[in-house]
Amino acid sequence: MTKNDKEQENLSNWKKSFEKETKKSDAEDFYFSTDEEIDIKPLYTKEDLNNLSFVEPNSLPGSSPFTRGPKASMYTNRPWTIRQYAGFSTAEESNTFYKKNLESGQKGLSVAFDLPTHRGYDSDDELVKGDVGKAGVAIDTVEDMKILFKDIPLDQMSVSMTMNGAVLPILASFIVAGEEQHVGRELLSGTIQNDILKEFMVRNTYIYPPEPSMKIVADIIEFTSREMPKFNSISISGYHMQEAGADNVLELAYTLADGIEYVRAALSKGLDIDEFAPRLSFFFAIGTDFFMEIAKLRAARTLWSKIMKDFGAKKEKSLILRTHCQTSGVSLTEKDPYNNIVRTSYEALSAILGGTQSLHTNSFDEAIALPTDESARIARNTQLILQNETGVTKTVDPLAGSFFIEKLTDEISKKSWDLIEEIESLGGMTKAVKAGIPKLKIEESATKKQAKVDSGDRVVVGVNKFKNPKEPKIDVRVIDNDKVREDQINKINKVKSIRDENLVNESLLKLTNAAKENKNLLEFTIEAMKHRATVGEASKALEEVFGRHFATSLSVSGVYGKHFDKNEDFKNVSKKIDSFGKKHGRRPRVLVVKMGQDGHDRGAKIVATSFADLGFDVDMGPLFQTPKDVAKDAIENDVHAIGVSTLAAGHKTLIPELIDNLKNIDPKSKIIVFVGGIIPEQDYEFLYNNNISAIFGPGSNIIESAEKVIELIIKKNN
Amino acid sequence: MSLVDKILKGERAAIAKAITLVESSRENDKQESKELISKLILNPGHSVRVGFSGSPGVGKSTFIESFGSYLVKKSFKLGILAIDPSSQLTGGSILGDKTRMSEISKNENTFIRSTPSRGSLGGVSFGTREAAIILDSAGYDFIFIETVGVGQSEIMAANLVDIFSLIVGPGSGDELQGIKKGITEYADIFIVNKADGDLKLQASKTAADYQSSLHYLSASETSASKKVMLVSSLEQTGMDDVTTTIQEIISINKKSGIFEKRRSDQLAYWIKEEVRNHIQQKVETGIRENDQFEEMINSVLTGKETMHNTIDLILKKLMK
Repeated sequence: MTKNDKEQENLSNWKKSFEKETKKSDAEDFYFSTDEEIDIKPLYTKEDLNNLSFVEPNSLPGSSPFTRGPKASMYTNRPWTIRQYAGFSTAEESNTFYKKNLESGQKGLSVAFDLPTHRGYDSDDELVKGDVGKAGVAIDTVEDMKILFKDIPLDQMSVSMTMNGAVLPILASFIVAGEEQHVGRELLSGTIQNDILKEFMVRNTYIYPPEPSMKIVADIIEFTSREMPKFNSISISGYHMQEAGADNVLELAYTLADGIEYVRAALSKGLDIDEFAPRLSFFFAIGTDFFMEIAKLRAARTLWSKIMKDFGAKKEKSLILRTHCQTSGVSLTEKDPYNNIVRTSYEALSAILGGTQSLHTNSFDEAIALPTDESARIARNTQLILQNETGVTKTVDPLAGSFFIEKLTDEISKKSWDLIEEIESLGGMTKAVKAGIPKLKIEESATKKQAKVDSGDRVVVGVNKFKNPKEPKIDVRVIDNDKVREDQINKINKVKSIRDENLVNESLLKLTNAAKENKNLLEFTIEAMKHRATVGEASKALEEVFGRHFATSLSVSGVYGKHFDKNEDFKNVSKKIDSFGKKHGRRPRVLVVKMGQDGHDRGAKIVATSFADLGFDVDMGPLFQTPKDVAKDAIENDVHAIGVSTLAAGHKTLIPELIDNLKNIDPKSKIIVFVGGIIPEQDYEFLYNNNISAIFGPGSNIIESAEKVIELIIKKNN
Repeated sequence: MSLVDKILKGERAAIAKAITLVESSRENDKQESKELISKLILNPGHSVRVGFSGSPGVGKSTFIESFGSYLVKKSFKLGILAIDPSSQLTGGSILGDKTRMSEISKNENTFIRSTPSRGSLGGVSFGTREAAIILDSAGYDFIFIETVGVGQSEIMAANLVDIFSLIVGPGSGDELQGIKKGITEYADIFIVNKADGDLKLQASKTAADYQSSLHYLSASETSASKKVMLVSSLEQTGMDDVTTTIQEIISINKKSGIFEKRRSDQLAYWIKEEVRNHIQQKVETGIRENDQFEEMINSVLTGKETMHNTIDLILKKLMK
């Protein structure tokens, strides 16, 4: 008997044993289809390593195709960087927080900005009343930036800035703040996210249309590669895609396709690829699908090295994909929140086994609010325990050679490559986002995921199974958003009272002209910010030429309902909706909206499509509406209810305003208002007192929510 | 104050409730709706009704956003009735048109109402004509009716408005051959959208194609000559052209009497249409609810009765 015969015999023996144990005639009955539609088998063997398309199982870390890691030594020499992202409302608070962290040995800091800053609005703009200081720090002028980095030597500190929309005035302010600290731009180190394409797919914190936005990205890559050699010009992010419901193939493929588009934009500036490629960095989400996430990171490096080779990169360094990772925010649940510590730990382990360069671990209370000191400490400790107690740093890419992992890495590579080619065939990502295709695919994936959870196909512990009969109460951080806004307005007024208006206007005019003449805009923005133009003014100066982008919104339909063919709960709610329709001469009608500058519309979209599948008529409002706009829309369409989706903590300002506006237009309005999203429990009472009829937290079952809504509507209209 | 008075005063909530009433399928509502409309037509406004139609994806809503912003800047009051085609299998629908009208939807001088198309294939929905009457009485200068272009329903849409326009995208000139005899006959204006960026040249070419093929279409007897226009919703170009053309056509048609003739023809059309509708509904419910018909049909199948006799018998029963 040859060795091969022996192996075949062993395998067939295994099959027999498997069938005997499981009492099924075929192991294929145990294949599990993932969100990515990859079949996971109960057993992988050597045979699975035949005919791999992308993975070279004998490759080594630190050399092409870098599947096993960007460095030869990986964590054995130096562990990954613990980088915790933090957003506080004001520059002062953030500064205190940074200094505290620096004292305890942290080497880099990471800035989260508030939504108006992202969207290029000043804190005193009427449009952004409810958003100032929410989800990050408000920056209006260089003065704020200087406070942010007070007593922090910018030549020694690596600064990561999550900024995409208002990249020009923010990066410019950072450079000016450095200069006024006597630190030249060539000494500044850090990263700016500068990844605008994904904003058009998810998140929506863009300002200008896709083409001029791409020009700005290219301007920044050009400028930094020539003048700021220590600065990463872009962080190409898949994170927000997974957060918005993308499966891992969508996340990986679209991120790399974005990367391809940025490389092209930079090449079009006449830059040499090896000049900027080593300064491109990536950012991925790590969710709960343990092995898939590991395979994703290995596949990402494999594919990127191929892509860069195809672009003609010559330096080995240009072929390397370096990435930051963050554990999944969307996997966190409001119910039984301590479970989130466990989820985050497994996700962190996935990221490490996948070979990330830096990692943020979420705090367990982030499904509800910004983390407290205590929850942030547990999150940081999750990584410290991995680094110091578990031994995971002792061996490079320890899972290499696993039949399963190598095969999975190859499969996710293959699927992603196909999708990348699809985007390429559309003419690249800028064209694809203009057509709205990636956004629609991500929404479809998100709706499928939600349907799996609501129908019980997917278990989420503490949410749809193994529920905690005694939900623990937890303390969360509270922000006084009116106070923050007031302070910011005072600061703007002060700056405006002492600046030289002529210089400001002149430099803004130059900026507008530079945009018309297609010049590199960063230097002109630096000039304007130096003279104390505001972020809003600089953004408007460019808006004059580029216009502001308004997304056209497409919706999926039927995806949610498909999962509930035989589901009794689904049918019952549908019946209630139908009979309301018959009785009242029209279907119950619900307006689903987002208010303020919060562009995270996954929740709103899922609610809209699933409510429509259940039989509601659903009106979708545009993004970035004010409460006044929403009230007008609701009254004109004579809806029965308004569902407000809120994820950025603006609800305490925006919702009372909405109610007031409804009453203003129609004092006898019977419109019911319900709220969904991230709302801390201590705000419930406030909202109920403000005529909110129902509140649905993260992880709410949609069918149950729909039932509640239809019952409220029936009651109100009897 | 009565609902009629509130509408005449232009109260937003009253207009909205009235539109709900005329769209309702409830019997009581239908009666109330008739009474309301009969009062409102005694108080007509001065509005011009403009229809916008076109295939999905040509940018109708985006054009309306752009053109609408132009009009409200000129202090016109604008009412928009958007028939949203995205009805779903379950009977529910997503009304997403307004996501593309973010600027005009916040303007005080607009009233925007979306209506699910239900069974009517994306065309005119039940009650659209009445909704336009409500907006007219409420004092809107322009009433836009947005429909999705699907065959037969376009004729209905064209019969609701004073000017009917077809929006097309660059490159749709190839389809011209096919649609020449259909919708193009009803359209007064052809708006070629997306004349910007990469598509600018192609859009101009499409406009030229339309222009030359219009020579083969005689100007319809119910309107001034047809016009082709090139616009970019994105860059808001060509909007003044569209406005002037609409105003010109209206003034020519008013002078020649075509404007009034068209409105009365339309009235006649809707009377027939309503009657047809009623009969059809009556027949359908009759057939559904009467078991006898099944037997009568069977008697033809088994050779006991002739086909024509049976048809006559069934009709007699139904038309009682």
